[in-house]
Amino acid sequence: MLSGRAAVAGIGATEFSKESGRSELRLAAEAVLAALDDAGLSPADVDGMVTYSQDANQEIAVARETGVGDLTFFSRVEYGGGAACGTVAHAAMAVATGLARTVVCYRAFNERSGRRFGQPNAGLSGEPTSQGLEMSWHVPYGLITPAAWVAMFARRYLHVYGATSEDFGRVAVTMRRHAATNPAAWFHGRPITLEEHQASRWIAEPLHLLDCCQESDGAVALVVTSAERARDLRRPPALIRAAAQGSGAGQMMMTSYYRDDMTGLPEMSVVARQLWEMSGLSPSDVQAAILYDHFTPFVLTQLEELGFCGRGEAPGFVRDGGIALDGPLPVNPHGGQLGEAYIHGMNGIAEAVRQLRGDAANQLAGVTNVLVTAGTGVPTSGLILSSG
Amino acid sequence: MTGTPTGTPTGTPTGTPTDTLHELAAKQAALGEVRGAPGPDPVNAPMIRHWLTAMGDANPLYLEQGLAPPAMAQVWTMDAPRDRSPVDDVLAALDAAGYTGVVATDCRQTYHRYARLGERLTPATRFTDLAGPKRTALGVGFFATWNVTWYDADDRPVTEMLFRVLKFRPPEVAQPYPLQPVVNQDTAFFWEGAKRGELRIQRCGDCGALRHPPGPMCPACRSTARTHAVATGRGTLYSYVVHHHPPVPGRETPFVVGVVELPEGVRIVGNVVDCPVEEVEVGMPLRVTFRPMDDRLVLPLWTPEEA
Amino acid sequence: MTSETLPELAIDLTPTLIISTALATRDFTPVHHDTALARAQGSKDVFLNILTTMGLVQRFVTDWAGPRAVVERIDVRLGVPAYAGDRLTFGGTVTSREGGRVTVRVRGRVSLGDHATGTVTLKEDGRC
Repeated sequence: MLSGRAAVAGIGATEFSKESGRSELRLAAEAVLAALDDAGLSPADVDGMVTYSQDANQEIAVARETGVGDLTFFSRVEYGGGAACGTVAHAAMAVATGLARTVVCYRAFNERSGRRFGQPNAGLSGEPTSQGLEMSWHVPYGLITPAAWVAMFARRYLHVYGATSEDFGRVAVTMRRHAATNPAAWFHGRPITLEEHQASRWIAEPLHLLDCCQESDGAVALVVTSAERARDLRRPPALIRAAAQGSGAGQMMMTSYYRDDMTGLPEMSVVARQLWEMSGLSPSDVQAAILYDHFTPFVLTQLEELGFCGRGEAPGFVRDGGIALDGPLPVNPHGGQLGEAYIHGMNGIAEAVRQLRGDAANQLAGVTNVLVTAGTGVPTSGLILSSG
Repeated sequence: MTGTPTGTPTGTPTGTPTDTLHELAAKQAALGEVRGAPGPDPVNAPMIRHWLTAMGDANPLYLEQGLAPPAMAQVWTMDAPRDRSPVDDVLAALDAAGYTGVVATDCRQTYHRYARLGERLTPATRFTDLAGPKRTALGVGFFATWNVTWYDADDRPVTEMLFRVLKFRPPEVAQPYPLQPVVNQDTAFFWEGAKRGELRIQRCGDCGALRHPPGPMCPACRSTARTHAVATGRGTLYSYVVHHHPPVPGRETPFVVGVVELPEGVRIVGNVVDCPVEEVEVGMPLRVTFRPMDDRLVLPLWTPEEA
Repeated sequence: MTSETLPELAIDLTPTLIISTALATRDFTPVHHDTALARAQGSKDVFLNILTTMGLVQRFVTDWAGPRAVVERIDVRLGVPAYAGDRLTFGGTVTSREGGRVTVRVRGRVSLGDHATGTVTLKEDGRC
């Protein structure tokens, strides 16, 4: 079993900005050194590296820059932001099986000043790969941006459950309220109202601008090592109580429109099932959730898939303050990707670690278990991190 | 009309109709000769010497006898302050009508006498003719002709010039539609069907299961025997988005993309067209329509089913 | 002035020639002197301006006819551009000769084809 065998021993990040002014490799190297320093380790201790398949910086390049020597384990996790928690899952597996002793997970990009994921890329349907063929059923019709891909699910959700754009808006308002008191957040000190959400321009109906996460430059790195060793290091360990990846039947990249139902995220259900099973916990045992919030609608869907509320009940749960800092399930106390920064989900894992350590900007009381999810609409992943 | 793809050239020129252009031309021609400002410098030896040197013209006549080379006629007034001539309005209207290309076709000069050192010449312009539209090698265009006469101090013509330009509409380069699908052995039948006006759905050659999007193997029975059915072309809108931002190449925003549920039991993505955005709704009945996007791609799109 | 065929005149269209003639004819349009701009507008290079074409046609004929000839008329049909780096070659034949008035058919070619074709009328021994 993987549960409890490994821990996150260090976290590090660059500043979150709109224009880092530095190369993506430099951002990666800076975050990796910061995470090692946080753990009280040095580059010489690292023998494993994991990142996302989308990261522009090869593991060997980051190793070279940071003075890491021999690597016995390296891995790249697929499917965009769905890889975030998967990196920790791979690292934990490597540590638990002895393939590596200290694994660094990292994600670094200039997603605002460099290649912006939100911009149309006609090349998506240009490659003779399974993904290129998949995209070819959508891109020729101008269905080409992440916001539009998600909006298609969102419209169906509104239709089936009688929800409204304001239900999405309340997610954004909550995330921005959390970010407003997080000094590391891009939107620190800049909360929004529901009226402002409703007044923001359409991106892809039914999504307003303020339903979409920001675009950010920055990097986050995590150090994963064995639970025993982590206990001897500088910071309190965040035990990897559960780690899982998940893909559902009929899965596609952002466009799984051909399944029976379009109101859920079956791949997140696959992750949830494993997380609860592996951890032995239930939804009432977690004190905070870090839910991937690139677009507001899928925060609602995740609440339902993870078992925090029933089908179609998430709008009411959020309306009643369910995801606020003082609610029954505080979600993204750092402000999420809507409020803090879009680092492809990696900054959320760091927030989970801080909540367990007790040194988060918006620290919650009595946090012992935090659930974290990764990118939605794609094959995804999740974690339950616990104090100990 | 919303959501109409822009990949297909519209072909219809916008702007001023031919009649209006000819009316303007006639009006300008009726103005007759319009005087311009006299040349800023009198005919002078330094400019003649400069011109002869640049042209490589060794003819001694000019400087020996204090005469300007005849082909210099226009040079003397090149720097004159230009009032709006009767020609300018015609050329501007042609530009506005889309005839933005310009190439000079004829220059005819008649020299009544050679200009003499010290005299100052004054040009006068009259618009003479607009002919067209005509098909030319450069594209469809109009020939605009005007005459300039340079007068001496006694108001006698020294040089006359006829000048003609072709104002043409640069032929629209048929832009390939930028959002092309990649096509392989598993999907070619669908796109070929679209070119023939058929909405083809993959059917398993063994178990008969219909499937969209298609693939090489039947997920129900693992058969690789494939055939296809031609859908009725009816559908129901299952979900949709109205894309506003960011701009998408080959598309005008806003446009609607929907997931359409077919009575055959599969779903397909396509644009909902010929329907005001605010009238699009989940559950609306649709009918397929086939739109050429360029000379190689036809997309099956969806229009509201007539009530 | 006895021959019926004019001696060929070949002019190398150096950038110097294109630019100096454009300026000598007081034509400051950038496509006649600014290579980068000309290329940005879709031209191969800077090219001869029309006033210079007229000047060179005049020179071609008077080089042959001599300083006593007086040019009365130049009619030119304009063709392909004459770009820097090309060579402009003029040829001509006498088509009529009547009462001291000579008409010459002129053709100026560049590598792309005819740059200028037309007729020049002159008086063999005229008074200007």
